[in-house]
Amino acid sequence: MVDTRDLLARLLDEKKLSYCQDCGSCTGSCPMAKALPGRYNPRRLLQRVSNDLPELLRSEELWLCAWCYRCTERCPQGIQPTEIFLLTRNLASSEGMIPRNPKTIMRQIMKSGRSVNVPEDFDEWREGYGLPPIGATISPKAIEEQRKIFGEELLRRLEA
Amino acid sequence: MSEYLLYPGCVASVRELGYEMSMRAVFKRLDIGLRQRDDFNCCMPACLVHSVDYTRGLALTSRNLAIAEEEDLPLMTLCSSCFGNLSRAKYLLDSNDDLRRDVNRLLGEVGREYRGKARVEHVVTTLYKDYGPKGVKEMSAKPLKGLRAAPFYGCHLFLPQRYSGFDDADFPQKLDRLIEATGAESVDYHEKTSCCIGCGSFFGEVSEEAGLKLAENILDDVKASGADAVVATCPFCMMQLEVGQIKLREAKGKEYGIPVIHYVDAFGLSLGADSAELGLDVRRISVSPLLEKLGRN
Ligand code: SF4
Ligand code: SF4
Repeated sequence: MVDTRDLLARLLDEKKLSYCQDCGSCTGSCPMAKALPGRYNPRRLLQRVSNDLPELLRSEELWLCAWCYRCTERCPQGIQPTEIFLLTRNLASSEGMIPRNPKTIMRQIMKSGRSVNVPEDFDEWREGYGLPPIGATISPKAIEEQRKIFGEELLRRLEA
Repeated sequence: MSEYLLYPGCVASVRELGYEMSMRAVFKRLDIGLRQRDDFNCCMPACLVHSVDYTRGLALTSRNLAIAEEEDLPLMTLCSSCFGNLSRAKYLLDSNDDLRRDVNRLLGEVGREYRGKARVEHVVTTLYKDYGPKGVKEMSAKPLKGLRAAPFYGCHLFLPQRYSGFDDADFPQKLDRLIEATGAESVDYHEKTSCCIGCGSFFGEVSEEAGLKLAENILDDVKASGADAVVATCPFCMMQLEVGQIKLREAKGKEYGIPVIHYVDAFGLSLGADSAELGLDVRRISVSPLLEKLGRN
């Protein structure tokens, strides 16, 4: 299997972070930075990936990127902050540090195949609007398949 | 008759039933077939599942692509977030042989394979590709004359360019053109291409706070533009801008009263469908002002 660290290293390497011009285009285009001034800053976060990793893995800021890809689209150096942040979160995850809210939603997904909870009688509700049934969960075989692909170890990590 | 494999997604089919009703009504009028399956799994938001395990996350997203290949039909999503996740998976697997090998090893354990043939579309990319502004205009039986519409692009329909490829990444235009083809005016405003973070932030209080702040920026700007309604492309954006209005009324006493519709709603109205057919009464924010303006029911 490709190791997450390799993928991350490749992204960091391909366009070395030292190529970062500190221009701030990433932060200037970032909706989270705009909504949370002083609390979220992708340009700074990127620097922390290379020089403050252990602390960063424990921080809330690592999980704040909303994967909108504006920074990736605009970076003049072709650095891909969005994918870099996703991969860096993998490192936190492998040390068991997954924040509570994301964990809850992922447990829901692994249980039902959907990210939102669907009540048992929801199809009656849909029928009232002339919509075809979707079932309270996706098919049992599909759930079994997704749990197998996700794997025992990760399922346990979500329960921890 | 053309046919698509419908990828319903969680948000549209559970939280935005009015949009799904409208989409089905419009596709029925257009005589486009929608094949369905009961075994798609969640698109596995990259910001959640791929954040926990990149390769297994990709394999789970790609399981849906493998199913689409089995059916040999283009996969059409209702949601821009599903579109973004599926397009991203396709791009990454098509451009990285190592990842593709690993993903296929995982898919092989459940008897599936991604072959690189899947096509990913979205309701709006489908309408643009199959009809385009010209086709929409020709079909417009009841043009939306006098309606001032504020297009809201969302993110994943056009960002990043390399995954989606649908529109210009800096100044997208296609939704504007589609809106104009219905006879409505497409209003220009600063927040037109901004982000609502609805599909990308699941962090509890901080996400709520940031989401509301962004919704307020967007809604203030729409209001200032004098538009009669927001025309969105994604059920997540719709929800953020609808729920945002409700919360801002509670928290700050702000009364926006701005209908938030999807592009298929505008298209359906221009085709001559009425509000019951389009599920326009199944919305969090009343669409009446828009209908009144058009003199429609
Ligand atoms: S992808 Fe993340 S860091 Fe980049 S602009 Fe969007 S929210 Fe900000
Ligand atoms: S946009 Fe690119 S070059 Fe500019 S500060 Fe951000 S990462 Fe560095």
